[in-house]
Amino acid sequence: MEEGRACEEVKRSKLWILMLVPTFALVFFVNLYPLVRGGVISFQRLTVFNLNNPRFIGWNNYRTILSDPAFPRLLWNTFVWIACSVTFQFLFGLILALLLAKPFFGRGLYMGLVFYPWALSGFAIGLLWSWLLNGQFGIVNDVLIRLGLLRTPIGFLSDERFAMFSVILVNVWYGIPFFAIMLLAAIQSIPSELYEAAQIDGAGFFRKLFSVTLPYIRPTIYSTVLLRIIWVMNFPDIIYGMTRGGPAGATNILSVQMINIVYYRNNFGLASALGMIITAILTIFAVIYLAVLERGEFEL
Amino acid sequence: MRKLVLALIVILSVLVFSQQVTLRMIQVFTSPLRTKVLEDIISKFEAQNPGVKIELISPPYETAYQKIYLMVSAEEPLDIVEVGDWSLSALASMGKLLSLEPYLAKSELTKHLVPGVLEAARTYKGTAYLLPNAIYVKTLFYRPDVISKYGITPPAKTMDELLEHCRRLTKPEVGQYGFDFRGKGYPTAFIDIVMTSFFDDIDPNCMYLKRDGKLIFEDPRALEAIKFYIELFKTAPKDSINWGFDEQVNAFASGITPYLFQDPDTVGLLNEIMKEGTYKTAPLPIGRGGKAYPTIGFAGWGITSYSKYKDLAWKFLEFFNSPEINAYWCRDYGALPVDVRVYEIDPYFKSETFYGWTAMFEDEKHYQFTKYPLDNEAWSEWNELHETTMQQVLLGKMKPEDALKTWADFWKKAGLVKK
Repeated sequence: MEEGRACEEVKRSKLWILMLVPTFALVFFVNLYPLVRGGVISFQRLTVFNLNNPRFIGWNNYRTILSDPAFPRLLWNTFVWIACSVTFQFLFGLILALLLAKPFFGRGLYMGLVFYPWALSGFAIGLLWSWLLNGQFGIVNDVLIRLGLLRTPIGFLSDERFAMFSVILVNVWYGIPFFAIMLLAAIQSIPSELYEAAQIDGAGFFRKLFSVTLPYIRPTIYSTVLLRIIWVMNFPDIIYGMTRGGPAGATNILSVQMINIVYYRNNFGLASALGMIITAILTIFAVIYLAVLERGEFEL
Repeated sequence: MRKLVLALIVILSVLVFSQQVTLRMIQVFTSPLRTKVLEDIISKFEAQNPGVKIELISPPYETAYQKIYLMVSAEEPLDIVEVGDWSLSALASMGKLLSLEPYLAKSELTKHLVPGVLEAARTYKGTAYLLPNAIYVKTLFYRPDVISKYGITPPAKTMDELLEHCRRLTKPEVGQYGFDFRGKGYPTAFIDIVMTSFFDDIDPNCMYLKRDGKLIFEDPRALEAIKFYIELFKTAPKDSINWGFDEQVNAFASGITPYLFQDPDTVGLLNEIMKEGTYKTAPLPIGRGGKAYPTIGFAGWGITSYSKYKDLAWKFLEFFNSPEINAYWCRDYGALPVDVRVYEIDPYFKSETFYGWTAMFEDEKHYQFTKYPLDNEAWSEWNELHETTMQQVLLGKMKPEDALKTWADFWKKAGLVKK
């Protein structure tokens, strides 16, 4: 009764508006304002040479980006980067989560070690792996040669055929823990009665996996996959640290190109236009993704 | 009562006069070694000037330029800004850097500057917006211990000799290569050292123009040069197409590639990781044009036009360039001093390590200094284009002729060629 009255009080005094202000302010300054500002800049010629007097140039920045002969390749690279990274991160993450679902000796320590990459900065990981995979004095080549698997070192990052594979490999290594953590939490929330019932019905491991585990954690899978696709698309750190999009554009993706435009060309207008294109692609994708899933019994 | 008032006045005046003046200063080329030296110099200045404090901002190098551009354009509190040759035009064109000409006209330092330094500082519209404290010129680093094993004793004097030596050195089966190649992260200067050496008529004011005002990229000698560069790449590990500064230094220090073009700041690093005498320097090899065209890179401090303590900031700049401090700075960080007196008071800069540079400075016939078109707005975009197109050429995905045409078109569009 007391609680109800307090609630009424708040509603009548319009206090609730005041209470919402911090949240709105935060969202406005951290998300909305930068987005709108980026949108405005993308229609301006704004480089380091005219930071104080930008001028509007219509769709020119967008035209420059879309008419770049390298743009289709950028799109394709971005697609390959996301598709391979997320698929393998998910598969290995799921396997890891299933392995970790049952208690065993030293599980805590093991989990700590396995989840460790997730705590590192992407750029640091890029630098670290660029030395490991170095084609001349990298330890990976050294080990492969000593094992007799290779005769001459592979240019993991300098050979166009391997460069994309290498950066994806590192991204998979980095992203597995995220899926493992999220899926493990979902798996642990499955009531054990379901498994007991399945056991009684004589279900084997795969039967239990496909009929109990996966259906139960499906909402988690849908939302984590969507999140990861967005994050991986916006994640230039590893590639930037390892190859800066090279050699000769072989690993260049949209978000890396955006950084290159800022760092090399100092052209903030052009970079913003690319940023808006990335946002548009992701928005369209997310809408379709959610629409398709909503037809199934998707709940977030 | 009177006593009390007097006491109050004394206390107040002490408070007012002891109030510290804080200068805010930002550096670009941050490294642990450099920051330490810089802090040391700052504390010496503070000791000489009670009441003055200098707050040093050291952003990571990767983002330093962006941070400075944005801070300066928004007039955030900054008094002393590190300005490099590559950022000078951008900063000066914003109108936020103070012209140092009035100070330079009165300063004693001006008389003792190494020839060419003041001209370099005046790259942007003939006005000095910074006081350089170190100059950077590329020279040839080599490993006498490694090349002598292959029967090479004097280091290469010409580009053709360099290629011949590098080919003789290259033995991939034992992990031995010749040339320490730079593939990524601003490889422009490395390409140009080779490219321009095929000419004998480069414009002293612009590296990409000939004396007749035409672009070097449209000259048949440029094609010859780019083909030579591809040959040189074949004596480097294939991986080097993805090498930046760190990989270059690593490959040189481990002896994999005993020939390297680099700046004097490499000296500071090499002295830390290598034994004395295991590396030496020599003048840049001369090309088929009978010459080599080094450029003078420079870095120094500028003062913001909106600083409240301009005179005090200048006092620091002068202090920084005084011979003892300049010697300490250049010696520990690895750069060539800008004050001629430093070469006299510190024998280190006349030692064998610096032979490559002294020999080049003395031989005006073969070494003609030239400049990059740093004041052209397209300059930073050029670095990206140059890097990616060169990589495509090296990987055989683009014909050298097409690359040259792309480069020529780029600079024509950027208005480098005067009609």
